Amino acid sequence: MRNTLFLLLAALLPGQALAANHVALANDVFVERVTTDTQGKQRILLEEPKVVVPGDRLVFVLNYRNAGAQPADKFVITNPLPDAVRFADAGDTRPLVSVDGGQAWGQLDELTVAQPDGTRRPAQPADVTHLRWAFQKPIPAGATGKLMFRGVVK
Amino acid sequence: MMMKAPVGGAKHQLLPSCSLLAILVALALPSQAEAAGTRAGSTISNTASASFDTGGGTTTIDSNRVDLLVDELLDVTVASNNPADVPTTPGATAQVLSFSVTNNGNGVESFRLSTVANVGGDDYDPAVTQLYIDNGDGVFDPATDTLYIPGANDPELEPDESVTIFVIATTPGSVVDGNRGIVSLIAAAVTGTGAPGTAFPGQGEGGGDAVVGATGADGTDNGAFVVSAATVTLVKSAVVTNPLGTADPIPGATITYTIVATVAGSGSVSGLAITDNIPANTSYVASSMTLGGTPLSDAVDADAGDFNGTRINVVLGTIAGGQTRTVTFRTTID
Repeated sequence: MRNTLFLLLAALLPGQALAANHVALANDVFVERVTTDTQGKQRILLEEPKVVVPGDRLVFVLNYRNAGAQPADKFVITNPLPDAVRFADAGDTRPLVSVDGGQAWGQLDELTVAQPDGTRRPAQPADVTHLRWAFQKPIPAGATGKLMFRGVVK
Repeated sequence: MMMKAPVGGAKHQLLPSCSLLAILVALALPSQAEAAGTRAGSTISNTASASFDTGGGTTTIDSNRVDLLVDELLDVTVASNNPADVPTTPGATAQVLSFSVTNNGNGVESFRLSTVANVGGDDYDPAVTQLYIDNGDGVFDPATDTLYIPGANDPELEPDESVTIFVIATTPGSVVDGNRGIVSLIAAAVTGTGAPGTAFPGQGEGGGDAVVGATGADGTDNGAFVVSAATVTLVKSAVVTNPLGTADPIPGATITYTIVATVAGSGSVSGLAITDNIPANTSYVASSMTLGGTPLSDAVDADAGDFNGTRINVVLGTIAGGQTRTVTFRTTID
């Protein structure tokens, strides 16, 4: 898995972006496939899909790398959620989220959604439209990291 | 607000691949198909962006874009529209059961329809004669609904679209009151059926694969008829009286006939009438007919009885099971 990811990362890094910015961001999407073996045990495989169907659980993995000589400060990664994907969770990476198309941001449990009758209800994962990770400390030169979140194909 | 994000720090290898996998496995749930969903053939694209400052002001870069084609999921459900068993009678034709067929997949799909009448768990097998595709009003009408011909006009449904199917059957003449007869309607995706996950490469809407969903791409439900029959029993009795005060049938004696019609069963009989010829060598006593103790006139008029010179006739109409009707009339011996 680790080797595979590094290979993917290397393949996906845009060379020009590296030269210009010294920071690279690679985006991979996997699908969780549940299979049952002959003993009846369920196994969950992560596959790199070309095609998906509604109900598939997707794992989005973002790899970043500061390939430059300078620390990267005020480092923020933003991922607008595709319309056809319903946010599920972000593991323990605790991103900021938006439920209004990127206008307001916060932890999911701090946000509310307007209802047709004018009242507001607590936001649910399905309301999420954007995810954002804002780093408090600069990314040192040469450092790499990985973020993930999961969603379901609507 | 953005400062609240806890991510970051000296070590930026936040989630090593191996632990990522472990978390995923722990949290994973079996995938579940939902109604319709993202249309088959559409593309899910994901791009993230990063902004940062390496000393020369804020720079923003985009990640690579990942495109995923959404395949066609084949899912269908069938549901009976009859809230209870549909009453029928022995030998009845054109008996109707109603079903809904719904495309729960995410692409347009045609469905092949079939029925099974010998499913068991019932008392008789209705003889299915035809299937009709409703014109949208939910009411069976052979003049406006479409006769279904397998393979020729398999109903084509958009995602989440439903169609009403009427199953037309004949009830065998041999059934008796209270018998149930079940018919199953089956709808199967024309593209294919099978275990969930079975793929039909290139056959999905929009050029992707067609993949069998949780329903197996076929659906079935039962509808049932219940025989609601009634039987009529007629019992006729006669009492003789004569001027001598005895019961001897001598000339001049009066015979009072009593006919009791008993209807039994859970159904009812319609068009019931009692007709009795006046026996030879006797004469009908004018205006002697009664129904339930109420006198009936001899003329053909508003009341139920008439006498035409040779027979009495009492029209009873529709009588439900469990009821009786008593008709009396008198004759004299010539």
